[in-house]
Amino acid sequence: MYTSTASTISSIKTTISPSPNPNKKETFSPFENTKRLSFSSFKSLKCIHSPPSNPKRLTSCAAFTLSPSLTTKLVPSKLPHLITEFESLSQPIDLVKRLLQYAALLAPLPDSSRVDSNRVMGCTAQVWLEVELDEYGKIMLWADSDSEITRGFCACLVLVLDGTPPEEVLNVTTEDLAALNIGLHGGARSRVNTWHNVLVSMQKRVRILVAERDRKKDFDPFSSLIVSSDGVQAKGRYAEAQIRIKANNFSSY
Amino acid sequence: MDGMALKLPSFKFLNPNISTIRSPPLLRKFSSSSSSLPVSASGTTLREAGPASNSVSLGQLTRPDFPILHQTINNGSKLVYLDNAATSQKPISVLKALQDYYESYNSNVHRGIHYLSAKATEKYELAREKVAAFINAEESREIVFTRNATEAINLVAYSWGFTNLKSGDEVVLTIAEHHSAIVPWQFVAQKTGAVLKFVDLNEDEVADVVQLKEMISSKTKLVVVHHISNTLASSLPIQDIVHWAHAVEAKVLVDACQSVPHMPVDVRDLDADFLVASSHKMCGPTGVGFLYGKSDILSTMPPFLGGGEMISDVFLDHSTYAEPPSRFEAGTPAIGEVIGLGAAIDYLQGIGMQKIHDFINPLHQYINKYNNTIKSEMMGTIYSYILSIYLFLFLMQMELANYLYENLSTVNNIRIYGPKPSKGVDRAALCSFNVKNIHPTDIATFLDQQHGVAIRSGHHCAQPLHRYLGINASARASLHFYNTKEDVDYFIHALNDTVNFFDSFK
Ligand SMILES: Cc1ncc(COP(=O)(O)O)c(C=O)c1O
Repeated sequence: MYTSTASTISSIKTTISPSPNPNKKETFSPFENTKRLSFSSFKSLKCIHSPPSNPKRLTSCAAFTLSPSLTTKLVPSKLPHLITEFESLSQPIDLVKRLLQYAALLAPLPDSSRVDSNRVMGCTAQVWLEVELDEYGKIMLWADSDSEITRGFCACLVLVLDGTPPEEVLNVTTEDLAALNIGLHGGARSRVNTWHNVLVSMQKRVRILVAERDRKKDFDPFSSLIVSSDGVQAKGRYAEAQIRIKANNFSSY
Repeated sequence: MDGMALKLPSFKFLNPNISTIRSPPLLRKFSSSSSSLPVSASGTTLREAGPASNSVSLGQLTRPDFPILHQTINNGSKLVYLDNAATSQKPISVLKALQDYYESYNSNVHRGIHYLSAKATEKYELAREKVAAFINAEESREIVFTRNATEAINLVAYSWGFTNLKSGDEVVLTIAEHHSAIVPWQFVAQKTGAVLKFVDLNEDEVADVVQLKEMISSKTKLVVVHHISNTLASSLPIQDIVHWAHAVEAKVLVDACQSVPHMPVDVRDLDADFLVASSHKMCGPTGVGFLYGKSDILSTMPPFLGGGEMISDVFLDHSTYAEPPSRFEAGTPAIGEVIGLGAAIDYLQGIGMQKIHDFINPLHQYINKYNNTIKSEMMGTIYSYILSIYLFLFLMQMELANYLYENLSTVNNIRIYGPKPSKGVDRAALCSFNVKNIHPTDIATFLDQQHGVAIRSGHHCAQPLHRYLGINASARASLHFYNTKEDVDYFIHALNDTVNFFDSFK
């Protein structure tokens, strides 16, 4: 089931370009249609990820200013759907099953990303997380775990937060996710709470990326808008951000 | 919702019809024909439980004293608590002692002359005596109360370690130590230039004492070892280790967190210089642990924390320090909890007097004889009592430990870490394990959610050991005397069901 290689996954993802259409509702129909949740309906989801090593993404930038419509609150709409979906599961075992179904959608991260610098600390299982800003300033997320149930948690977070503006990721609180706990993995404040740990870790990285982007803006007002045909240069910017993330040891999370 | 949602009937102890228990509901859900699935494993286990259930076990005798065990969780599963190595449950008498303290004599200790303070101080110091007797310390001032075992180790590291270790000195540890017995020494090593040397495991997956013996040299100043490993369930020959260490004038710190709650521990017998344990693992409250240190060593050690209680006189530029143990108990201690720990020790004695009297009768005769020769020594008498009880507990747990190991071994694709009990090795009543291709966190989650079985998953604060074993995490089931064979049977049944569930998802 998890045999897909990194390259096949990335080719799937490559076909997905960030949609300027803010109305992504139908993409997330599984949340609304929990009764008929099936693997096939999941498969149409775009946001379950590809590895970040996709070179196209780094070179195909186009000069682009965020349109107000793109900042439409995606998180506030996706999250309630997910919560409703989870709350409809009355038996704990159904939640486990649902998480395993979500886990099945999440392509494994390549070994090159399953490294200590990407580890989320404080989970009983290993969790790896990569966060980048795409060319529109939106969050790109990849997450993976060696535990299937934890992978399910990761998949949900990716589903809700991938492709959203950084501010939205930063605005999500652990309390917002509390409804998703349903008795799993300790209370909202537990050290083993996967939602909490991944979220906090993600936000920390987003803050670093945003600070990095803003710093660039200050020095060169055009750098984040100018699209270089020079892939190396673009790549360098991401690589630089990446290095910054990695240099940060995420000691607390 | 469907077959998945069905629960097993709540488990009945001593149920003569136990062998007829139906196959796990999951099997029905995930297979059109349950006969094609390996149901026999759990079926067999349950059938074998029949005769075992007929003798009244210590677990069955003591369970009524632990109200927490009698509850259903997660939509109706009966709680089966198998995470005792992480923390034990508390008997009613301990809860009562806490309530009594706060209700009738809560007051600060050693500070007031009024009635309540005097009473609190008396009970607090009485608890110290109980702990001293419990581990057969020579005097109660060899017992320092800390927040937990971790703080006790840090106390030794900061106070004894920084004073006595210098560049090039060696501290010998094993890779199986709990993080709390490793990290404080890393701090000391980083600051002093002392070197930490780690003993590996031998082929039986026990810390290699041969290697340990060879590692001890004139450079060795301290040996830090577990008495019983919280992951491997193995024990170390402390007396031998102390003997080797003392031969080169090195000190020995014993991490007795997993031994003190389960077996007789005699610090004079072991001749250890330091020994630490946590109250919460021995049926006492959280927030208390203790350090045992030989009084001649403790009295040479500088304070660990500064504050009230630990001083003799304070001047503006310096202070003189109180004698141990006060020197190491800065600030207001966890008074109620210390008293609760005293009650926990009383409870363990109580088991012996009321409930296992018959069983230990022959043992008593022996002990009475022994008592007569040392009648003048009050401590000795109390200790021999405790020893008899603990020998009993120990024997009961050995049986339960092996029962757990044997039954767990029948689960498909399981790998249990630590020594095999067959080799004349006594394992503690815990098993860390992995089932092929299923993450221990997934196992623990499913066991909890579907079956109400509480086990631990993760690295159990023993990452170097897990790394050595080539794993990131393991699952761990750990028992205490209030667990029964039925708990083990139910756990094994639930684990088989869990494995089938995840296999069906692959
Ligand atoms: C062997 C061992 N040492 C040390 C500790 C630390 O105990 P505490 O957390 O109570 O300080 C534990 C408990 O997890 C343990 O099992």
